[in-house]
Amino acid sequence: MSKNNPYRPIETEVLDVITETPTIKTVKMKPKEEIIFKTGQFVELTIPGAGEAPFTPSSRPWLKDKMEVTVMQVGKVTERIHQLKKGETVGVRGPYGNGYPLEEFLGKELLVVGGGCGFAPLRSLMYEIFEKSKEFKKLFFRGGCKTPKDFLYKKETAEWAKRDDIDVVLTVDTLDGGNGEWKGKVGLVTTVLDGIKMDKKNGIAVVCGPPIMMKFTTKKLIEMGFKDSNIYLSMERNMSCGIGKCGHCRIGPYYVCKDGPVFRYNDIKDFPDVWD
Amino acid sequence: MLYITKNNLSNLLEIIQKDYDIFVPVKRENNRFYKRYDPSMKFSEDEKLADENTIVLGEVRAFEPLKVFYNRAREIVADGFKAELPRTNPKPFCIVGAKACDLKGFKIQDFVFKEGDFQDPFYIEARENNLIISADCTCALDTCFCSTVDVKPYPEKDFDLNLSQVSGGFIAQAGSQKGQALIDKNPSLFGEAMDRAVAEMEEQRKRVTADVRKNIRQNSIPSQDKYEGIIQKNYDSPIWDEEAKTCVECGACNTICPTCHCFLLYDQMSEERMERLRVWDSCMIKDFAKVAAGVNPRPWLWMRLRNRFEKKFDFFPKQSGIYACTGCGRCITACPAKIDIRKVLQRLVKDVQKQPV
Repeated sequence: MSKNNPYRPIETEVLDVITETPTIKTVKMKPKEEIIFKTGQFVELTIPGAGEAPFTPSSRPWLKDKMEVTVMQVGKVTERIHQLKKGETVGVRGPYGNGYPLEEFLGKELLVVGGGCGFAPLRSLMYEIFEKSKEFKKLFFRGGCKTPKDFLYKKETAEWAKRDDIDVVLTVDTLDGGNGEWKGKVGLVTTVLDGIKMDKKNGIAVVCGPPIMMKFTTKKLIEMGFKDSNIYLSMERNMSCGIGKCGHCRIGPYYVCKDGPVFRYNDIKDFPDVWD
Repeated sequence: MLYITKNNLSNLLEIIQKDYDIFVPVKRENNRFYKRYDPSMKFSEDEKLADENTIVLGEVRAFEPLKVFYNRAREIVADGFKAELPRTNPKPFCIVGAKACDLKGFKIQDFVFKEGDFQDPFYIEARENNLIISADCTCALDTCFCSTVDVKPYPEKDFDLNLSQVSGGFIAQAGSQKGQALIDKNPSLFGEAMDRAVAEMEEQRKRVTADVRKNIRQNSIPSQDKYEGIIQKNYDSPIWDEEAKTCVECGACNTICPTCHCFLLYDQMSEERMERLRVWDSCMIKDFAKVAAGVNPRPWLWMRLRNRFEKKFDFFPKQSGIYACTGCGRCITACPAKIDIRKVLQRLVKDVQKQPV
């Protein structure tokens, strides 16, 4: 990380660009200076001539010289990211924010719920969890995407489903555009939370996905008996500087870039714009 | 106390000019603006009649907030991937005539740019290398309300040298080692202040303080000891919608505010010349908090007005312990929609007092 100038990006080589779904790509990169991040922290990715945008790496945190971000095309920077080719130069600043408090999850029953592009930060978290899977009492993963063709990380999630240290259920909202190969469930991700055999009073739930998915998943989890303080959400805001100065990403008294992006639900639930 | 004549102050400025770019307030119509000092400029004999070539150290704060020098409207903060800081401030600068409200503005800007896990090296360099020669207010505008937010119309600290304008010259007080060094290195320019001059300064301070208090009384502006909880308790109040009705989203209130610091990092759209700029941004503008996917936490104007007041009187003071308002009144004058911070504060406090305990 650049210690002297927090605005300077570190020169980074694009190693590969993988098409995950029609709207999502994963960029594999190699920063010229080591960037050590904690799972759940985010970086600012600069595309020369286009600008900068925040992403939480989807790769293994302990791989120090390589980093991956999984990006949905939604605006002008992400449009350019989708056009990136192997060998191009981009910039990375960070890491910023708090990341997941993994050490607090150890020894407990843990449920991870992902929706759509929210799989990206969660993949990084899952790599960490699998490294220490013996230290958890029970592990659950519930993941949902819109349709089979929108499903992210098909290979990895299929492998997770085969593991015996975790209980995995994958679902799609509808079968639209599927080719009949979908073997998972059909229905919103909230419908596959029912019947989970875990200690809801003391269990931890980590949720990451679009705001609407997080809103309804959180509601469901509370109905199921989870404590507000045991639900961890990844909040999305317009993080421009990443260092708690530019003022764009405020929720209540917090800056998402500095105090988040991971929040316990009880810390933010009273702010009316939390799901916007 | 020390005294310096206008002539000797001119001599002092010429000495300072060897090491610093000096900016002094001059007058254009009824406003004071900072202008780069040159030795042909003289101190005004009658500030009411002053023009663009006479220095006005009395009266009130200048039109521009001091952040224009420290956290500038548009500053290059990264030059491609180069590790060296882009050099944007070749020579340190000296601000002459800063007022007490301007100095309070630094408290907020300092908290943002100097504190926390990350610091802004450009701001810090400007703050460390500069020289601040402040001055007492010699009158109050009808929009001045500094004493509601614990600011007096004369600086007591946070300056290098302070000047209190009296007949024929100024009472000078050092507020830092740098300021003391200016006096110590140039002893011939300073003399012992006559009792009459000190009395004049004290009289003037009392008079201007009374003028500000009169403003506050006339406009029924509540003082800051009544601000606690006013935003939270009025969170869903119709006040916000009513006050925001005339807003045209020009962002003038943000631009002119000495405590507003929000910015956007903007990258030049040229791949050959990769420059990153830190550009002032305005939380009143619709897209300020919008994310790329389109979600906007504050889609309505009244929410953005409320956000502006939350910043000044709620979440920022919770973080820093300081209300982010200096009572300078710049936003009142700048707003084309006549949204008046004094009136909003008055309504907020009144509504809280009306609520049952």
